[in-house]
Amino acid sequence: MEPITLVIILVCIIIGGMLGSLGVHLLPVGGAPAAMATATGIATGCVMLMTGSAVTGLFTASSVATFWESNPSVLLVSLSGGVGAMLMMGFTMLIANLIYIFGAGVVPVSGRAAVDPITKESQTEYKTPRTDGHGVPNVCFYSGIVGGFVGGFGGALIYVVLVSSGYAGFSVETAVVVALGIFIANAIMAAYNIGGTIEGFHDPKFKERIVTGLTCAFVISLMCGIMVLIAIETGTLGAGGVL
Amino acid sequence: MTVTPAVEEEEKKGEKPKEKFKFSFDYFNESRLGIFALVVGAIIAVAAFFPSLPAFVKGIGVMAVILWGADSVRKTARYGLGTGVPSIGVLAVGFGLVGATTGMAIGSEIYHYFGSIGILGALAGVAFMAVIGYVSGVLANSERFIGMKIPGLERGMAELAMAGTLAIILECSIVAGSWYIGDILSPIKGYNIAPVAFIAVMFILAGFGMLQPYNSCLGADERRGRTLLMAIEIGGINCIILGAVATLSLGAVQGVPLLVMGAIVWVVFYRAYMKACMDESYATPGTGLIKTLGG
Amino acid sequence: MPVISLFAWMLVIVFLAFVACMFEDLESDVGSQSNPNSQVQLAPEMGYIHRYYNKAISGEGLSYALACTIAGTIALLLLLQFEPTYGPKAAILAIPVGAAVGSISHMIRSSVCYPGREAAHKRFEQPIYLDVFYGHLVPIATHNFIAVICITAIAYIQSHLTVLSGVSGTSNPFPLPLLCLIWGITVGAIGSSTGDIHYGTEREFQDRPFGEGRRVIYHGQICRYGDCGIRTSKDVVAFCAKYGGPATGLTFGLIVLFENWRTVIGMMLGGLTGAAWNPGIAAASGVGLGIAVAIVLIVLNTWLVRWARKKYGPFVGE
Repeated sequence: MEPITLVIILVCIIIGGMLGSLGVHLLPVGGAPAAMATATGIATGCVMLMTGSAVTGLFTASSVATFWESNPSVLLVSLSGGVGAMLMMGFTMLIANLIYIFGAGVVPVSGRAAVDPITKESQTEYKTPRTDGHGVPNVCFYSGIVGGFVGGFGGALIYVVLVSSGYAGFSVETAVVVALGIFIANAIMAAYNIGGTIEGFHDPKFKERIVTGLTCAFVISLMCGIMVLIAIETGTLGAGGVL
Repeated sequence: MTVTPAVEEEEKKGEKPKEKFKFSFDYFNESRLGIFALVVGAIIAVAAFFPSLPAFVKGIGVMAVILWGADSVRKTARYGLGTGVPSIGVLAVGFGLVGATTGMAIGSEIYHYFGSIGILGALAGVAFMAVIGYVSGVLANSERFIGMKIPGLERGMAELAMAGTLAIILECSIVAGSWYIGDILSPIKGYNIAPVAFIAVMFILAGFGMLQPYNSCLGADERRGRTLLMAIEIGGINCIILGAVATLSLGAVQGVPLLVMGAIVWVVFYRAYMKACMDESYATPGTGLIKTLGG
Repeated sequence: MPVISLFAWMLVIVFLAFVACMFEDLESDVGSQSNPNSQVQLAPEMGYIHRYYNKAISGEGLSYALACTIAGTIALLLLLQFEPTYGPKAAILAIPVGAAVGSISHMIRSSVCYPGREAAHKRFEQPIYLDVFYGHLVPIATHNFIAVICITAIAYIQSHLTVLSGVSGTSNPFPLPLLCLIWGITVGAIGSSTGDIHYGTEREFQDRPFGEGRRVIYHGQICRYGDCGIRTSKDVVAFCAKYGGPATGLTFGLIVLFENWRTVIGMMLGGLTGAAWNPGIAAASGVGLGIAVAIVLIVLNTWLVRWARKKYGPFVGE
């Protein structure tokens, strides 16, 4: 394979992995405390949330990739994946808010920001004392939408570069599992980086940790990408897949 | 933290897995278990290139590797990861997918050009993955990066990455008969589907063998022996499912012995595990009211 | 009328998704899985001996990925065996048998969790109640079966859509187990992020004041008494089935609906098939529709939060 193609594949894997890591940092994840309305955000771990939204996007991206006979448009397929993940996050956060508001009688409020940086709504007086906020307030919702889009875009980008016959040309199954492996590794390292809970881009933690997170994502994606390049160079995984 | 009651008698060398649970895995402490599983797993993974190797031998390899992975998960997740035990098990198989793909591709390529020396090529994937796992451990543990401050996380992640890679290679060879990449990617005889279509089930089965035991036994009085009993039990379930798949892809001669072995292992270790839990719990009343304290 | 049948199958998928995610959430409540389980785990350490079932297989996303993938694998094996002879009719056997194997495997895995976790609570004097142990296994398996059979059916329909709807090129390229893995992870992620709130915030702390976040000091002090006698996890289901479960089902249903809807509309705008087919327009219009839906969601959420703030007012009380 030509060196320029290999470089493009490597760059796309690194970008995809870093976008996945960035997506995890942007999601409003409350972890287990959020299920008790003790922390702001969505009531599950970041890894599952990010993987769940990314694979939803991946599903749509895989359907869209079959629109083309060969050589699918990388940008459009990745965008479809990003939008799929964005919709998954959007519906999840909206209905979570419905349950918070009508099932538990809790007003969505941020615990880390005194004033919502986008809508300028004050937060502190709505917060229950001795909690870290509850529900998914507006700023977290926006952050989550962007995070879902970014993460889904990254996952779909790795997939489409690996599956496209113009680039790596893996079989569909190989491409999706390799993309999933790289994406999950990055998402988990990002989850360790934020240490369980984060509210989104307005959280002080975000500024503090994002550089570290992206550095780790860069190193891990680079190493995984080099391994994928070695696998591509052997020529055994190409279209048709047989020597 | 965890108090492991010492069990005295360990004169007999516990080489066969069947006898292990009697000694609470004291002989197989964390280092010995790692070396044992790495050696067994690597030898079987190399030998798994040959389709004549019976699937149940590969099944034993899978169980050993999963046992090792579960022990590593226990070792690292004990100190609290901040986002749940399962994440590190998934990390292992996530790395494993990348490593196994590369390892199998390298091995098949070398085999293609240089003959049977190439079957060692699969271990190249394992070695690469060990490096990547170690580097991720350093990134996660180092003060300058994430700073999780978990003792032995570097080694744990390297071990998990190796265990995940070996597990995926072995499971691929169970389904396809060999990890030769041409066998994995070309259709099964008589059907228009390739063994790689089953990669999802391999991924999730290997992952669960590693992450479930510690997650399900978590608590103040968790004991290593009990956790590892469950790891073998889950290995048995995995062999049953893989046996069913191998029965279709390779025929009953390969599949049924694996399935039967899985069923026997599952029954023996499920009973042993349940008995250990019931014996070691505070009480096992048939029913009863709760003791009310203050609340 | 190929497009009509495409839409019809899409609506079947949406209905199945609704049922699947609702039962997924209720099943996680039967066994007390995922995030609220942290309180069930914590309770004995706080002196709150309880009769909840402690089902800690893993997070919901992974455990559903497992059950659904096993179901999909067994279904695929049966399909490969019988499809050449019986055609699509083989699915009538394959999907239920696959789902049964998946849910039995799930039940076995959940059966090791309760003894394991409660034996690890020995020093807090938490016993293993055998009636709790045996009594929860069948509800876990049955709820799980409904969820898994729906997911397997969704995966089957999506991977055989060309045959079923008669529109060429609509089948998803992923094999059945991989689709089951994808939808299993998604259904579990949604079930734990939305449905858990009703269980964790409301039902687990029902004796605490309504309408406020649960303070950190309440953690572990779960509500252990039911309407009559002592509460077990089975009692939680009847409560959560009234709000948390259906809302969770709605989430997944809406996601599947809009994901497929924008793809199908995009395909129609792109010319569907034949010479007029333009993949670029099809993909781009799908993306555009998705962004439009997301903007509607943002507006809805902003309005909802504003409404709640106005109606409920600032926090009053201590």
